[in-house]
Amino acid sequence: MKHSSDERSPAPPRPPVQAGAAQRVDSLLERECDVFVRYLSGVAPSEYVLERYLAAHAAGVVEPPGGAADFERWIVRRASSATWLVRALDAHQRVFANGSLLRRKLVLLLALLEVRAPHAEAIDTPTGSSRAAMLFVLAWLGARFALTLLVATLVLAPVQLAFKLGGRA
Amino acid sequence: MKHVVVVGSGASGVHFAQSALDNGWRVTLVDVGRTAPAAELPNASFAQLKREHPDPAGYFLGERFEGALFPGGKGEYYGFPPHKGYIFAPLDGLALRSRGFDPLLSFARGGLAEAWTGGSFPFAPAELCDFPFEPERLVRYYGVIAGRIGVSGAVDDLARFLPGHEHLAPGLRLDAHSEALLGAYERAKPRLNRELRCFVGRSRSAVRADEREDRHGCTYLGRCLWSCPREALYTPSITLRALLRREGFTYIPDHVVTRVDADDSNRVKRLHARHVASGAALELDAPRVAFAAGTLASSKLLLDSLRAHGGAAPTLTGLMDNRQVLVPFVNLALLRKRVELDSYQYHQLALGLERDDPRHYVHGLVTTLKSALIHPIVQSVPLDLSSALWIFRNAHAALGLVNVNFHDERRESCSLSLDVARDGGSTLLVRYEPAADESERIRATLRDVKRALRQLGCFAPPGMTHVRPMGASVHYAGVLPMQREGGALTTTPLGESRAFGGLYFVDGSTFPFLPAKNLTFTLMANAARIADEAFGR
Repeated sequence: MKHSSDERSPAPPRPPVQAGAAQRVDSLLERECDVFVRYLSGVAPSEYVLERYLAAHAAGVVEPPGGAADFERWIVRRASSATWLVRALDAHQRVFANGSLLRRKLVLLLALLEVRAPHAEAIDTPTGSSRAAMLFVLAWLGARFALTLLVATLVLAPVQLAFKLGGRA
Repeated sequence: MKHVVVVGSGASGVHFAQSALDNGWRVTLVDVGRTAPAAELPNASFAQLKREHPDPAGYFLGERFEGALFPGGKGEYYGFPPHKGYIFAPLDGLALRSRGFDPLLSFARGGLAEAWTGGSFPFAPAELCDFPFEPERLVRYYGVIAGRIGVSGAVDDLARFLPGHEHLAPGLRLDAHSEALLGAYERAKPRLNRELRCFVGRSRSAVRADEREDRHGCTYLGRCLWSCPREALYTPSITLRALLRREGFTYIPDHVVTRVDADDSNRVKRLHARHVASGAALELDAPRVAFAAGTLASSKLLLDSLRAHGGAAPTLTGLMDNRQVLVPFVNLALLRKRVELDSYQYHQLALGLERDDPRHYVHGLVTTLKSALIHPIVQSVPLDLSSALWIFRNAHAALGLVNVNFHDERRESCSLSLDVARDGGSTLLVRYEPAADESERIRATLRDVKRALRQLGCFAPPGMTHVRPMGASVHYAGVLPMQREGGALTTTPLGESRAFGGLYFVDGSTFPFLPAKNLTFTLMANAARIADEAFGR
């Protein structure tokens, strides 16, 4: 995995992990961290962000209160395959399940990105577009959101129904 | 030398102690006194912290990520950052239950004001009309306190609501957004004043730009929200530290006071405390005691003392707090501008709405958003997070918040009482019911605030206004009101209890009315007044 090269201080030590299942979980988390950060910032996560992402999961703060449903876990697994899928699933979850596992993971990553340079500096920098360009982009973002939401809803409705019928929604 | 024991090191306690010492009294201050963590990289700016701190997530979000606000979570935006957790950490053995109220207590050195935003707003004469003494007796102490803590601001259009006083220093350098808002106000002033009776001006804050003998000036590090590492923003622990160097002052930390004893003539004679860690008992002979533990803790002490003395504890009525409503806004003129991180972060402007009854004045703290964490805001935009982030990058410098404060009055339905367990332990029960007309008042006021914002070139995004729960403002007051004459559950104009002679309440518990303003500045002034008038030379 490619990491940003501008780390100025060593990341805190990662808590010891047991071999086997724990390492597989870490590997999945690394994968989703990479895709989700690319979705949010356009670049790969730094070593520090990845370490803190794993630490937050180890601390148990990411799971929604009462635990995540199987459908939410399925959404996260699908989302971690590609950034365009994250966008579609994020749009769906923003409207229909704002406190879901995917949204919590994304918000955690946003929180980690905003406290650490260089991501933080990018977040605090306007895109530099003109007023007209900004209005155009705003309209485009709104339209894209509506479209992805529509498609995601059409695709996910039968999946969610299947999870419900299976008692795992 | 005459001796007084003070309970609590918050804003009231330390200024009462300072004045009593000045008057030649010996002062013993008993306190739990949790200490603040050391300031990290104290000369680094907010942006430098993000570059140079070895673990910025630990600093900004907390070791257990408690500062991360997740969607659907209970936390409030603009809440307290993780390393201010010591201020609100609960104390074992002090039980509390509440209904209609989210109470906050502090056992930190400096008390709740260690987390304040420095708002130093003197009460106007009309707001003091329920206080049982001439307003001048209190007003002159605003100057005394301003001289001690350093208050900056201006005598401008808000002076009709915020009287001037001695030692008011010039305001800090305005950030670009606040400057733009003030410029817009100058242009829209005739309409705003006439149609909405809305006035805007510089806020009053316990922070100064200039260096003083014992304090640094503000250097605009942008870290106000995370505790000013240079202590340019005043907190009571600064005064406590100065008191520790004074002759005649004794500090007993790590102890929680449990009650006072009285003699046969109901005069206080002894104070009981226990060590926080070991539970070891401590007794102090105390012919005079000043409770400055804050309205909730001081009231519980009185109720526990009454119970020990007479076997029953009554109900204290009249609990007050300021309702606060947060109104986020976007200033269209600042879209696509770069946010100014190296600036003072708390309210630099204030907004006042005049009402027919001057006691019903509405006060708004205008804070422009700069270095607060952004993930709680971005997640609230009704789009996918990536699109929301793009919008935020272009709107960051344009965002602000009006914290609208409402007055409160004493009502029978808002009370403090004790629930006593079989083992003798007691739980403080807090009950609060809003006034019947509160919803209507809030609705009408928010309509005016949003119209005022529009005239300033801003708009308040729909659905984002947040009514904070009662208790959140931590401006508690009113259960032992100062009255010229009254029953056992009132206090004299000097704050002396009518239940126990020699027992003084020098915190907000004695305020008979709560205007729509942060009361901390008045707490300090009133404590200094009581020390001078009741504990003179």
